[in-house]
Amino acid sequence: MSETVLKVEGVHTFIGQHHILQGISFEVGADAVTVLIGRNGAGKSTAIKTVMGLLPPSEGRILFRGKEIQRRKPYEIARMGIGFVPEDMGVFSGLTVEENMRVAMLIEDEATYQRLDRTLEMFADLRKFWKAKAGNLSGGQKQMLAIARAIVNDTSLLLIDEPSKGLAPIIVESLIEVINRIKDHSVVILVEQNFSMASSVGDNFYILDDGIVVHSGIMAELVHDEELKSNYLGISKVGG
Amino acid sequence: MAEKTPVQLFHLEDKRKRYRRSDFYLRIGVLGLLFLIPFLFPSYKTVDLAMKIVIYAVLVASFDIMLGYTGILSFGHGMFFGIGAYSVAFLIGKYGDPSYFNLMLGMAIALLAAAALAVIISFLSLRVKAIFFAMITLAIAELAIVLATKLSGFTGGEDGISLSMPGIFAVSFSAGEFLGIEITGRVFTYYLILLSCLGLFIVMLRFTHSPLGRVLQAIRDNEQRAEALGYKTFIFQGISITFGCVMAALVGGLYAMWVGYVNPESCLGVFEIMLAVLLMCIIGGMGTLYGGIVGAAFYLITETFLPDLQHLARDFFPNALFLHNVLERWSLVLGVLFILIVIFFPKGVIGSVRDYLARGSR
Amino acid sequence: MAEIILRRWGGELAIAGAIALFLLPLLGIPGKTYLTLTIAGLAMGMLLFLVASGLSIIFGLMDVLNFAHGSLFAWGAYVGFTVFNLMMDWVEADSVLMNLGVFAIAIVIAMIAVAILGIILERVIVRRVYGNHLFQILITFGATIVLVELISVFWGPNDEVMTVPFTFRGNWDVMDVIVDRYRVICIVIGLLVYSVIKLILKKTKIGTIVRAGVENREMVQAMGHNIFLLFTGVFAVGAGLAALGGVAMSVFSLQVYPHMGSTYLLFAFIIVIIGGLGSVTGSLVGALIVGLSYNYVAYLVPWAAAGSNVIIMIVILLVRPTGLFPSGE
Repeated sequence: MSETVLKVEGVHTFIGQHHILQGISFEVGADAVTVLIGRNGAGKSTAIKTVMGLLPPSEGRILFRGKEIQRRKPYEIARMGIGFVPEDMGVFSGLTVEENMRVAMLIEDEATYQRLDRTLEMFADLRKFWKAKAGNLSGGQKQMLAIARAIVNDTSLLLIDEPSKGLAPIIVESLIEVINRIKDHSVVILVEQNFSMASSVGDNFYILDDGIVVHSGIMAELVHDEELKSNYLGISKVGG
Repeated sequence: MAEKTPVQLFHLEDKRKRYRRSDFYLRIGVLGLLFLIPFLFPSYKTVDLAMKIVIYAVLVASFDIMLGYTGILSFGHGMFFGIGAYSVAFLIGKYGDPSYFNLMLGMAIALLAAAALAVIISFLSLRVKAIFFAMITLAIAELAIVLATKLSGFTGGEDGISLSMPGIFAVSFSAGEFLGIEITGRVFTYYLILLSCLGLFIVMLRFTHSPLGRVLQAIRDNEQRAEALGYKTFIFQGISITFGCVMAALVGGLYAMWVGYVNPESCLGVFEIMLAVLLMCIIGGMGTLYGGIVGAAFYLITETFLPDLQHLARDFFPNALFLHNVLERWSLVLGVLFILIVIFFPKGVIGSVRDYLARGSR
Repeated sequence: MAEIILRRWGGELAIAGAIALFLLPLLGIPGKTYLTLTIAGLAMGMLLFLVASGLSIIFGLMDVLNFAHGSLFAWGAYVGFTVFNLMMDWVEADSVLMNLGVFAIAIVIAMIAVAILGIILERVIVRRVYGNHLFQILITFGATIVLVELISVFWGPNDEVMTVPFTFRGNWDVMDVIVDRYRVICIVIGLLVYSVIKLILKKTKIGTIVRAGVENREMVQAMGHNIFLLFTGVFAVGAGLAALGGVAMSVFSLQVYPHMGSTYLLFAFIIVIIGGLGSVTGSLVGALIVGLSYNYVAYLVPWAAAGSNVIIMIVILLVRPTGLFPSGE
């Protein structure tokens, strides 16, 4: 593993009175897609929301490129170059696709417009429905919009929460392609329950259970480790 | 012996402590004082003050059922209070003779009218969001004032209605002297209202300690969770609102009996009554019921003696300008106090003292 | 079936129903009086819109129900009153320019002063209770007590007469229909403010961000926008609008008094419930409904005027509990 981009050290997070993250630690290197996997309620979404600053950790440290960010506000964290695609996509359905992209563009300079062009090349549908209300897009298109918003800025780390959720297999295929293209520009952390998606884009993996990391390693090895898969990812056997 | 559930243990602990806690004696003491007031301080001013503290304390408690125990803020509480006051005034003042039967009937009408209106308002506003309740009750309360003022043929308009109490409660009634005090109808009325208020207060205490009251607190603390546990929050909130409003109406009826006069401003006024009730509730402590007593006592005593305090301050501390300003601008001080309490002591006097004692005993 | 129709055409049905409702008084009112009343109603509606829109935007973006909005309105009126008194020769001058000048100066100063007050209120008080509706209402209600008392401290507790600028007084007689001059000015102000708000929300980046924030605050934050700065800004704008409404309304009703805020806050509540909390267009439509119906009913059945609004509100709550317009419009 080369340079460490994100380092999470012993983080505890509460939601209300519920102790969700119970001392989670993981590291993300610069040249890989890291996948957080685990059962429902294992704390995967909470983990990336905590990184994003949307949930305040009660303990522990989060380092982004060597700087502590666990006490910063979400907007400060976003401005440091972390993009976020939430589980529900967070698309502004009353706004047009264009307006959604405009809200996302933090600085409207030459470089941003170049990135916008590059992004729209990747997501042809967005250009097609440029003036349409985002609420009228299909589920897959909304997901594309959500990802496009997150990469239109100069993001160096992208947090994506369950992008394949509720999408048709054929759209998941194109998502995999998109993520494989994004990883050339940006480090990606993916929360994913769909093991086939996780295994086809992920380089490294962390398995979460009850708010801590129980296993980690290289994705290529996990694919062949039937015992680990059935112990922690029961879903992958049933759901495929 | 079988393992006890946490709830059972809690109840046992509660029972064991009940007769040992100092505040138990405090309660008995306050109650005893209220019973002796007509003999200890027979002046009109003190008896009137004590009675109003009792009435407002119970009114605040009924407000607290909704605010503190259910998390719903109503600006229509004054209106329900007024409905009760007007019901009694109609029956023994404007449309009926003072008789025991009419008095009882007035209270019964107060109860039914308040319950019906509360159910309708809950249905209207809770369908949307609990915060709508504050806005909608405010609007409807204003409407009530307008109606009471404009429909003067029916309600007596701004002139209001005077009423007199029946039989032994009549002002003119006298049962001779006892312990050097003349036992007039006023004294009987005092005890009638005191006992009624005590009864209402006990009913409310039972209500909050019932399983229903605990569900309400669960809803207040986390509506989604309560809903997820299968409670129809809408219905429970409606029950709590109806209960609180009915209590307010009954208190209103008692108030009319004491002051012998109702008019739109003093019985329905959103700002006259609601402001006082909210201040009393916040100062005393939301979600405590007993807070109403502290809040009402503080508010009414300072209000009654404010002119005296101002004189005293001027006579004894002629140079304490700050003190003078504070007393001159008492409403402003109350407003600031209100905000500070909401921010720093959201549990009010009673809640904060309880917290402090709990911390001390641990 | 009925529900589908309501969902698809609810807005249109409501508008058609509203139009029908507003022609209905013609049955009982002579035509020319009807026109005069309509202008009066539109003027009143526009003024109420100024109060309600701020309340609505603040709720839409920040999810804060600001009970202190009425007292900010009263503060605006008093600041305007002070400016009028300081520049009384301009107010009394028989010159449209000077009159408009003093009116504009009063509005600008009142808006700035109250916007600052709003910023203080948001920073010191409201910020502590984000996410807790109950405490928001309590704490802003407390702020109302303080702000109203402060008016009594600075300006005295009594009613004061507001002078109407000289050339704003009187009527125009347009083909036998009496048109009060100042009412026309009110209608123009209302339309102007509505257009500017809509333009800002639609065309500017900050407006787009505000609309996005109304939908999903968390996401706007996660996209790198300082939502707290936005909150303060929107609160200041809402306060400024209340102040504008306060100045305009005090000239309209010829007086200022410390408790004036509570009356108009009540109107504003009814309006946002009718129009839909969080929607600017809804505020406009709701305000016009309230203003017009108030004037018609006041003419037909004087004692029922104040009640008509509450009745409309109740009907709307029964038919369409979320108001006529969805938030963010």
